[in-house]
Amino acid sequence: MNWRVFASMGLLISVTLLLEARAQTPPAVSGKTVAASKGWTGPKTPWGDPDLQGIWTSDDCIGTPMQRPANIGERLYLTELEIEERETQLARQTENDKQEFLAADTRAGVGPPPHWGERARRPCKQTSLVVDPPNGRIPDLTAEARTRRIPEGAGNNNPRPASWEDFSYYIRCITRGVTGSIFPVIYGNGAQIIQAPGFVTILHEMVHEARVIPLNGPHASPNIRTYMGDSRGHWDGNTLVIETTNFLGNKTGVGLNGGGTPTSDALKLTERYTRTDANTIQYEVTIDDPKTYIRPWKVAFPITQEPGYQNFEYACHEGNYAMFDSLSGARAEEKRENREQ
Amino acid sequence: MRSKFVALMIAIALLGAAVPVWAHHAFAAEFDANKPVKFRGMVTKMEWINPHAWIHIDVKGEDGKVTPWMIEAAAPNALLRRGWTKNSLPSGTEILVEGYQSKDGSNRANGSIITFTDGKKLFVGSSAGDPGAAPGAPPR
Repeated sequence: MNWRVFASMGLLISVTLLLEARAQTPPAVSGKTVAASKGWTGPKTPWGDPDLQGIWTSDDCIGTPMQRPANIGERLYLTELEIEERETQLARQTENDKQEFLAADTRAGVGPPPHWGERARRPCKQTSLVVDPPNGRIPDLTAEARTRRIPEGAGNNNPRPASWEDFSYYIRCITRGVTGSIFPVIYGNGAQIIQAPGFVTILHEMVHEARVIPLNGPHASPNIRTYMGDSRGHWDGNTLVIETTNFLGNKTGVGLNGGGTPTSDALKLTERYTRTDANTIQYEVTIDDPKTYIRPWKVAFPITQEPGYQNFEYACHEGNYAMFDSLSGARAEEKRENREQ
Repeated sequence: MRSKFVALMIAIALLGAAVPVWAHHAFAAEFDANKPVKFRGMVTKMEWINPHAWIHIDVKGEDGKVTPWMIEAAAPNALLRRGWTKNSLPSGTEILVEGYQSKDGSNRANGSIITFTDGKKLFVGSSAGDPGAAPGAPPR
């Protein structure tokens, strides 16, 4: 592993070690995620629905592991001390970003340089993105899912691609799936919510998914199946609940950017968007796929509005030289190996 | 001590699995860790394109021969949030680049380190930075 990739991992490793160091702290278990701030009443649209409109980002939980390291047990939240230390780390990172000159010992690497990433603005308070089961671990795969043949290009990449079809749907600019479109990753975490009477639209910046979600209608026929499924929303008090079914099976997974074990055509996602203050929505999604996981599980994290933050155009494939380079690189490697034989 | 070591190994394993997935593409497939490159070049254009921007430079060899190179830079969205625009790097600017050449041997490289000739970083600032970090955005 080249040192620079290693260095870019440093922050997350530090967090994990920090968590490990605090593992002796009595667990403050809470299966519930953040409730609305006391006394705060959210805005309404002119037609009376709770108003979630704006541009939101999951940046604050960049780097929070999907699954909780086992030694942290059932403790969902960082301790106050851990949060303080994370704040210090973020401040240091911001300082480093603002330095006009590189550190004297900076060396080139093959991996993404640090300035490529977008940054959390404040510490994510969770120890993992998975909040249920209580141990923060993704449930086991079913026997069927363990033996399911995963197509090469589904969520992952063939290390020796022979065709564009060997690249993930993400790299092919097709989709990251519903969960992959909102889970926090290295960059491009923006989501714009726009409402109209009877509809909610969510526009995700990276890979430019636009979900148009009718409220209170019946699902489309089960014969109609798509990468992003068929979504129907309703209001539960001030919470927007979106149920999504009708997925194509064996395409994207629930990992970051749609990676991981692809889900099945039985997948049902239940998302909940609850505005907890002017600039925060608590996002939750329950993943129920009995053909893939032995039990339903839940991921949750806050998304926030930030001053000046906008979605920008993401014409995903306009200059996707990386795909060309990866294919020609694989051919060059094959030629070299043939010569050596 | 052992548990600390295990935690570190878990962190490395998690990250090792996560990092290639995070970026839009796998660098190991694109660039050759055995072909480091380092040169001074003059910017001829910056392609402000998705999913990543590319900087075109002319590199003059010791024999005076000029060779064009393409250098991969960050995602335009991330650059915008650091206060960059497509006009931030005018043609004719001299830059220093360190990185690794593409595996197929063509004149493309990742821009691991890109600085001006006085050593100042090309990309300064944080995407998480100050209000209005996105150019032209009104403060809330």
